[in-house]
Amino acid sequence: MKRLFLTLAVCTLSAAGALHAATDGEVAARRTALDIAGAFTNDGFKLRDGYWAGDFAPGKPKILQVNLYAGNQYYFTVGATPPAKKVLITVYDETGKPVPGEPFQDTSVAATGFSPDNSGIFFVKVEVVDGAAADFCLVYSYK
Amino acid sequence: MIWKFRPLAGSLAFVCLCASAAAEATPLTPEEMAGAARTDGLSIPMPGEFMASLNKLGKIDWSSKFRIPIGTSYTSRPQMALNLGGLIADGYIAIEAQDQQQVKNIGRDVLTLAKALGVSKDVLERSGSIANFAEKNQWDQLKEEMEATQNEVKQSMAEAKDQDLVTLVTVGGWLRGVEVISGQIGAHYTETGGKLLRQPGVAQFLNQHLDRLPDKTKDDASVKMVRKKMADIGTLIAFPIDKAPTVDEVKQLNKLVADTLKDISKKQK
Repeated sequence: MKRLFLTLAVCTLSAAGALHAATDGEVAARRTALDIAGAFTNDGFKLRDGYWAGDFAPGKPKILQVNLYAGNQYYFTVGATPPAKKVLITVYDETGKPVPGEPFQDTSVAATGFSPDNSGIFFVKVEVVDGAAADFCLVYSYK
Repeated sequence: MIWKFRPLAGSLAFVCLCASAAAEATPLTPEEMAGAARTDGLSIPMPGEFMASLNKLGKIDWSSKFRIPIGTSYTSRPQMALNLGGLIADGYIAIEAQDQQQVKNIGRDVLTLAKALGVSKDVLERSGSIANFAEKNQWDQLKEEMEATQNEVKQSMAEAKDQDLVTLVTVGGWLRGVEVISGQIGAHYTETGGKLLRQPGVAQFLNQHLDRLPDKTKDDASVKMVRKKMADIGTLIAFPIDKAPTVDEVKQLNKLVADTLKDISKKQK
């Protein structure tokens, strides 16, 4: 099942999340993110068929607003292209306060997992903490 | 938990940041929050996410959430798009109910409306696999297929410069999801369940996109009605984070959304 999904996700580049032509860098970053996010599906997480891609640089993080539901568990994963040597992902609640999570990081990919106590707005910040400007792709999984 | 995935993640060696990164992060400024990106693809939850959270409240008889089939022969494209969104949400409900026939019926109706809206042939062919998965009772795959098809329909519309239809498909689907979930919570009320209905960001996002529709689309009778109702719906689901809506408020929301969907599905004169 995971293979089916990953094949569809990577090959079709169909998600409405981008609704624009993906660059080669965004495709590469997406593949990096899916390599990690795909592993979560083995633990019952469903990988959402959508993504957010673009470029970021040291000192110039990118932030996305999402709407999450209490009771669900979430994993956000960001992949980046090699110029980014270390990336970080942080989730904030609707007041802008960082939300404690389970963060993991390995060179150009990072993930963080958490379960919201309340339904509503959250913000996901992705940033380059070491390296140079790069393309990134954010995906998320839930169960 | 990540250690369980380590072998599965190939040779990548995760480094667990034992100290929570959240403890080190500084809060976002109001400007950063206001400037955050909002996308249809990730900022709006999929019906499956909503249903996953609802399923945690207890066993739900999803087949009781089916509605009388709506028509598929509309003359107004905006109205078609609104109903297409609702039908796709019906598809998620049929999958949760694991009802083969219902999935096939809805799949057929989705196809009819999508064709009428000029969705690309590739996507239409892809949607045929929904019936095949239903035949084989492959419900997990079907959920993924439904989500992917939904996104491809929107992608196809966006490529055809029909971005306004993308918004309307999203609105229609979201309304149908809220109708079902508020109905369930209203009938089996708990404060925890009531709090699930809190979605201020979604309503704000959708209302902003409805406001940006071209004047011609905004003049459509179904869109006019939806814009008016969405303002009220937005108010009802934007309750404070620490306060659950009362059962009466949940029922009020349910009635408002149900009436909106009925109006959307009525043929325009």
